[in-house]
Amino acid sequence: MARRRRADRAIAKQTPDAIHLVARLGSLLSELGLSGIEVTVGDVHVRVERTAGSAAPAPSAPGAPAPAVADVAPDALVTVEAPMVGTFYRASSPTAEPYVHEGDAVKEGQVLCIIEAMKLMNEIEAKVGGRVVKILVENGQPVEYGQPLFLIDAQR
Amino acid sequence: MFHKVLIANRGEIALRILRTCRELGIRTVVAHSTADAHSLPVRLADESICVGPDDARSSYLNIPAIISAAAITDSDAVHPGYGFLAENAAFADVCRACSLTFIGPMPEAIRLMGDKAQARAIARDAGVPVVPGSEAPLPGPGEAQRVAERIGYPVMLKAAAGGGGRGMRVVREGEDIGQALAACQSEAGAAFGSADVYCEKFIEGARHVEVQVLGDRNGMRIHLGERDCSVQRRHQKLIEEAPAPALLPETRAGLHRAALLAAGAVNYVNAGTVEFLVDPDGRFYFIEMNTRIQVEHPVTEVITGIDIVREQIRIAAGEPLGYRQEGVRFEGHAIECRINAEDPDTFVPSAGRITAWVPPGGFDVRVDSHLAAPCVVPPFYDSLLAKVIVRGRDRAEAIARMRRALAETVIEGVKTSIPFHLKLLSDPAFASGAAPLLSQASGATPPLSQATHDPSRPHGTR
Repeated sequence: MARRRRADRAIAKQTPDAIHLVARLGSLLSELGLSGIEVTVGDVHVRVERTAGSAAPAPSAPGAPAPAVADVAPDALVTVEAPMVGTFYRASSPTAEPYVHEGDAVKEGQVLCIIEAMKLMNEIEAKVGGRVVKILVENGQPVEYGQPLFLIDAQR
Repeated sequence: MFHKVLIANRGEIALRILRTCRELGIRTVVAHSTADAHSLPVRLADESICVGPDDARSSYLNIPAIISAAAITDSDAVHPGYGFLAENAAFADVCRACSLTFIGPMPEAIRLMGDKAQARAIARDAGVPVVPGSEAPLPGPGEAQRVAERIGYPVMLKAAAGGGGRGMRVVREGEDIGQALAACQSEAGAAFGSADVYCEKFIEGARHVEVQVLGDRNGMRIHLGERDCSVQRRHQKLIEEAPAPALLPETRAGLHRAALLAAGAVNYVNAGTVEFLVDPDGRFYFIEMNTRIQVEHPVTEVITGIDIVREQIRIAAGEPLGYRQEGVRFEGHAIECRINAEDPDTFVPSAGRITAWVPPGGFDVRVDSHLAAPCVVPPFYDSLLAKVIVRGRDRAEAIARMRRALAETVIEGVKTSIPFHLKLLSDPAFASGAAPLLSQASGATPPLSQATHDPSRPHGTR
């Protein structure tokens, strides 16, 4: 099975200016009827998202939860999202140990998981270091582009 | 029959495909970009899967992502719609390799007709009249000059890998064809990955008439009549109708026969459209074949009563054609207007948020649209908002019905082309049914009768 490294798209840490920015983005979200806004100001990058599923009559993704992802908490919780469609695996093979567990410390660039697509195993790396607070998907679960996979506390 | 179909497209065509799948009892999955996550087709589908960010290259054109999405949703077939991957032979190949049925023609047919210079040769060899021109890509300015002198100016230089109205330029007597060729080759290389350019006679005052064909896997092929798509602006078809008005019976019959010959030459399976130019004397010439379902397919459906998407799915599932040629009937006259999100005077696209949408309705009015206010019209894709299709007992009634329908249509939040359509529909040249192919430049809206044929913006599009 071929391996291919893929960098993950992550969100940088915060400053107090970011909180104000977030509040403004939050109201813009409603005003414009958008589902998400992402802004980079200087070295602050903020993303505000609305909960998925406004009047949706059908389930929206293959088994994915619909989390309210608002990366605005002062404790700098960072969401690692799937950069591609495929099947999520916690380890490099069925018999290997998972790359990470909840509670583990991880470094920037460390492999967190595999997403397999068309028989190609893509290593997904952490773009920031920190502690893995939560693993949001199950081993072998199909994931879509942008689906939240891990919550990492970037300050610990 | 398929258990589950992945719809690899967006907007109104995704909804169109979804509806027919529903009627056939097939489960639907819509593969979408982040921008379309809350769109109507995504909300109505049984399942949906985000395959990439807003940018089409990373989502709707992303073959690995689409294939992966089909795999993880256990889809057995993919419908590519129109545009995006619909005429991508490599995508059709990958589907075949992954045992995923591509709802469309065989990759070989896509490839053969995808090279527009080759398509001409295939049609000509099949006995179909083609626009006089070069037999192969032009090697240089000397040959371009010779061909132009042989067939007579004005001529059109066309990118072999182009099509759909792109990569073309007209050269008139006295102009520097060598320079035009060099420019065309350079643009073609950049836009389509191939600098091959061929040359055709530019036929003034021609009409764009195309023929819908359907073929099954047993080698049976029928036509579903022709459409006239002469009213265009900058490669964009604005109004389409079926049947084509003002055609001599022998021209009409000749077009149907020629279309079947061209399709037969590549053993065409599934739905396709053969495009022709018809000159003012009723002579017709093959220009290209579109190996996909087209935007304007509803006008054919409305006068034949045949669900083309349904036939596409049935054919792809291995079933025989649902109709014999003798069973295909044409009743009445249909017109379609493509309502785009754009300024009706300047044609500048107008993305934004739709706050009100009241579609027209009533007797013999059909609307194909993915709008569901409030909703966002993203700036990343085409600006098509809705197709309004009407049928009348005759052309005059259809025109009157379309004017009535457009007048009651409400779209608030973005500018639309409705005022422009209304002007076109009131124009006496349009009403006469004999208006030649026109492609208007941007600027103030001239009425049809005064519209100039912009030589730098020739015909043919999706």
